[in-house]
Amino acid sequence: MPSIMVRGSWGTLALAVVVLLGAFAGPAAGDPQETPAPSSAPRVTGGGEVTAVAGPEDDQAFFNYTDYEHNALRVLRVRLLGEWRIWQRLSLLGEARTENGDGVQIPALYLRWQPWRDHNFDVQIGRIPPVIGSFPRRAYGRDNVVVGSPLPYQYLISLRPDALPATIDQLLRMRGRGWQPSYPIGSQALGPGIPVVSSFRWDTGAEASWRNQWMELAGAVTLGAPATPVVQDPSDGQQYSGRIAMHAPGGLTVGLSGARGGWINRSVLNLVPESLRGRHNQTVVGVDAEAGVGPWLVRAEWLHSSFELPFVGETVQPAPLVADSAFVEGRYRFHPRWQIAARVDHLGFSTLVGTINNGAPTTWDAPVERVEGILGFRARRNVEIRGGYQYNWRDGGRVHEQGYPTLMGLFWF
Amino acid sequence: MRPTLLHLAIAASSAAALAAMPQTPDTGTIRGRVQIVAAARSTGRPAIADLAPPMVDPIDRRRCVVYLESAPREAFGQLQRARVRMDQRNEQFVPHLLAITVGTTVDFPNSDTTFHNVFSLARGNSFDLGRYPPGKTGGRKFDTPGIIPISCDIHSHMSAYILVFSHPFFAVTDDDGRYTIPAVPPGSYTLMVWSELGRAEPRRVTVADGETVDADFRVAR
Repeated sequence: MPSIMVRGSWGTLALAVVVLLGAFAGPAAGDPQETPAPSSAPRVTGGGEVTAVAGPEDDQAFFNYTDYEHNALRVLRVRLLGEWRIWQRLSLLGEARTENGDGVQIPALYLRWQPWRDHNFDVQIGRIPPVIGSFPRRAYGRDNVVVGSPLPYQYLISLRPDALPATIDQLLRMRGRGWQPSYPIGSQALGPGIPVVSSFRWDTGAEASWRNQWMELAGAVTLGAPATPVVQDPSDGQQYSGRIAMHAPGGLTVGLSGARGGWINRSVLNLVPESLRGRHNQTVVGVDAEAGVGPWLVRAEWLHSSFELPFVGETVQPAPLVADSAFVEGRYRFHPRWQIAARVDHLGFSTLVGTINNGAPTTWDAPVERVEGILGFRARRNVEIRGGYQYNWRDGGRVHEQGYPTLMGLFWF
Repeated sequence: MRPTLLHLAIAASSAAALAAMPQTPDTGTIRGRVQIVAAARSTGRPAIADLAPPMVDPIDRRRCVVYLESAPREAFGQLQRARVRMDQRNEQFVPHLLAITVGTTVDFPNSDTTFHNVFSLARGNSFDLGRYPPGKTGGRKFDTPGIIPISCDIHSHMSAYILVFSHPFFAVTDDDGRYTIPAVPPGSYTLMVWSELGRAEPRRVTVADGETVDADFRVAR
């Protein structure tokens, strides 16, 4: 893994976040800081998860491709998790993952420091869990209520951090082609677009989090952007993200989160006039809610993302490109072994005016809707089988609508 | 997982399987120590994606349950309908191992700052208490003997065991592996050990009025 560079302002802000959150989490009377960790604490613990999803080919519509260029409905994913307790309340955590045997990724590798034993406060440094939204922290098999992922976290839109359109028309021509958009400025190699927010890769930086029975607070300073997490800084500036969540009596949690960071690679920005290089940030605001009582679980999430983009060929720069998404999902467990679950999903885009489409306002990418339902069976505590169906609609691209049967086997340990 | 307990608990409910009947109200005691050969502390799967998770203490999986394979007939009529608790604290079930008699209700209070769920897929004892918030308590009455693995659907690293007996002659070992089964009617019994870490050879013991019988075990994988 490449080394993590910490610059002056970056480090200062990270420290500020730590201090701010630390103020909420000061030790109580009795000084629990002095509580020794159990002498027999295990030094290394581990776990894992194997997910096998069998679905049909998707090489015409590409509705379910992920930012790893894998079909989320046709994948064998193996995850290994490990924690090494270096010293009392300091641990090194990591994850190694492979999909379809295509090499090994290290999507997470970070230090977790828990300064006070009796307070849920920690500082995490390295390739860390995302703060924005709620789905990215439960993106994998057992925490995901269906088989597929929500559109904003998986569906590839027609933007690339390493290649830029010069004109609005060049962008509009790529509507519905997020699986492999191509643009004249920057990389000419074939490559995928990006999700609105990446849930399968984590960003690199520092984070401080605190929670109690009523509230959660988290803040992070990292290198990339919500759509483009990185391990080395390829862009100008850092990402600042934060989340506050409130737990209401009765089982309702509502979270508000936001993030802003540079999403375009510096190597591409260097190809555009200096006056336009400031247009490179992605800003995301999200609201998430979760209500769970008894056998019912209902979640909803709304994300509003705007991408700044320099159009070299345009005399008047348009407003940032907006992607709005919302999904609602629910699960009902009607038996200790059986559950049904469904998700309804929408991803929409703001409009631009070019010469295409007779100059009529046109969404800069093709809006997508998705519904998915599953029936799940828990064979053992840690073995689950799900079967279901997913249907997608898209206002553009080669294929405008497509349905997929889904079958997933899940084992964790 | 030891498959013997379920069979034995069922056998214990059968009059045909009962040991010699005590003729006097006097009783004896069985005590001893269970030695665990394998290393036994664990905190389970790491919570990789969590923000501000609680500081998780290692779970002492060395605790065992020592019990009589069968018991006098009278023992089955003396069971009290008790109420005990298995707490959910720092994303762990506390205690990790609970031994109860049939008819006992176990309360599962949520003493954490997050939602919890309690479920088991044990045959004859499957249940799911659903999700409930901090401060709330879910409960379940256990009417069937058996081994019941307990899990949380939200936190996959949480686990516990409840052993349900149809007689009262059992004990959970302490930190040193020691146990005491008091008030055992005189007679000959087979003494068994249940451990999630391994197996121990059963031992045959004879209890006389007012006497204490020592029986040590060694659990190996």
